[in-house]
Amino acid sequence: MKLINIMISAVAVFLAQFFLVDFLSLKMIRPDFMVVYIFYISLVFGKTPGVIVGFSLGLLSDLSGVGSLFGLSPLTLSITAYLTGILHGKYERLLPYVFHGTWISIIAFHFLLISYFRFQTVFVSDPITFWKLWFMSFSYTMMFFFITQFFYPVKEASRAEIT
Amino acid sequence: MRNLYLALLKYKDHLIFLIAVTLSFSLLLKNDTPDVLIVRGKFSDYFSFISSPFAWVKSMTQLQGETQLLRDKNIQLTLEMEAMLIAQGENNELRDLLGFKRESKLKLLAARVINMGASSNLTSITLDIGSDHGVMVNQPVLVPEGVIGKTVVVGEKSATVQIIKDGNYRLSVRIMPSGNAGILQYIAQDYCEVRELQKNSTISVGDKVVTSGFSQIYPENLPVGEVIEVVDERGSFQTVAKVRIRPNLGALLNVFIVIEEIDEVD
Repeated sequence: MKLINIMISAVAVFLAQFFLVDFLSLKMIRPDFMVVYIFYISLVFGKTPGVIVGFSLGLLSDLSGVGSLFGLSPLTLSITAYLTGILHGKYERLLPYVFHGTWISIIAFHFLLISYFRFQTVFVSDPITFWKLWFMSFSYTMMFFFITQFFYPVKEASRAEIT
Repeated sequence: MRNLYLALLKYKDHLIFLIAVTLSFSLLLKNDTPDVLIVRGKFSDYFSFISSPFAWVKSMTQLQGETQLLRDKNIQLTLEMEAMLIAQGENNELRDLLGFKRESKLKLLAARVINMGASSNLTSITLDIGSDHGVMVNQPVLVPEGVIGKTVVVGEKSATVQIIKDGNYRLSVRIMPSGNAGILQYIAQDYCEVRELQKNSTISVGDKVVTSGFSQIYPENLPVGEVIEVVDERGSFQTVAKVRIRPNLGALLNVFIVIEEIDEVD
């Protein structure tokens, strides 16, 4: 039952990403719903389901059309899922600011990886523009993270399996 | 055996992560292999089928604005055509004087953008035509303002286009009227840089950037953009020209694929 729920929600998130990102695109910066979903899956169920779902969703995302970096989404989503899985069930054991600082850093790292692969030339020729691009894509998706917080706070997600 | 099984069970998190990362890296390194391209072509067909109704709705919602834009463009083009007819007459006279007449024509295929991928950065678009319509890999993709990319994956009924914004996209260009050739690469937003230009190049702001024709993919003189800044660093052996390309690639609805170039020498 748990597996079916994960699969159905994963497909729903992918379809939302596939159909809605164009409408939510701001100056070519698009939100990444899949990383939000993978983050919660890893936080609730741990590393293994997170990495499997992350890899599959990433692959599906790249198959839906990507220029020359086919394989980048599965890589970044798997890494994010693995790192987030470390926080699984750790909310009670860590100081709140350490916990929140860690998950925000993981998401920032996810976007850093994507931006580095996609904008290598900008990184070399114009580092300020590169960091600006990274910050814009990171903060735009973080906005959706914070919206999700109202419905399903991270601290609850981290304890979900235990309780 | 039991110990191995227990070890696998104990470290399954790390093992699955390792497998996922290895697979991802192997996919990244095998981007251009025929097997991967075939799989991507097949999936491109499936995704284009899923997204085609959505693309239709999207185009309907934008139709009113587009009609108004076309009306304005129509008037503008009518005026431009008058001027061009006069210029053509003058051009023909001069060509006759030179003793030869050469015309280069491009065979274009119109296509509709049906999908812009699910990635958080736009680097490709999917078109509603594929190998059934005569599209092949490595064909230039244009809009009236200039080159925007090339086909990289071709399915039967759809094609994925690597657009100019992709980090690995390079284009051999020439800056007119000076004729200096260089390599164009995307930087950010609507800006690109042309590198490998000679230090003594005479390039000015406003110069037109066109394809050089050195590449086997792009015919020469296709418009690309306009020079907006010339950077001539002391100590560098090259001049760098900043170029503005077609703005807002994220709002593309229709494009053209250059199927072939017909050269006629009369």
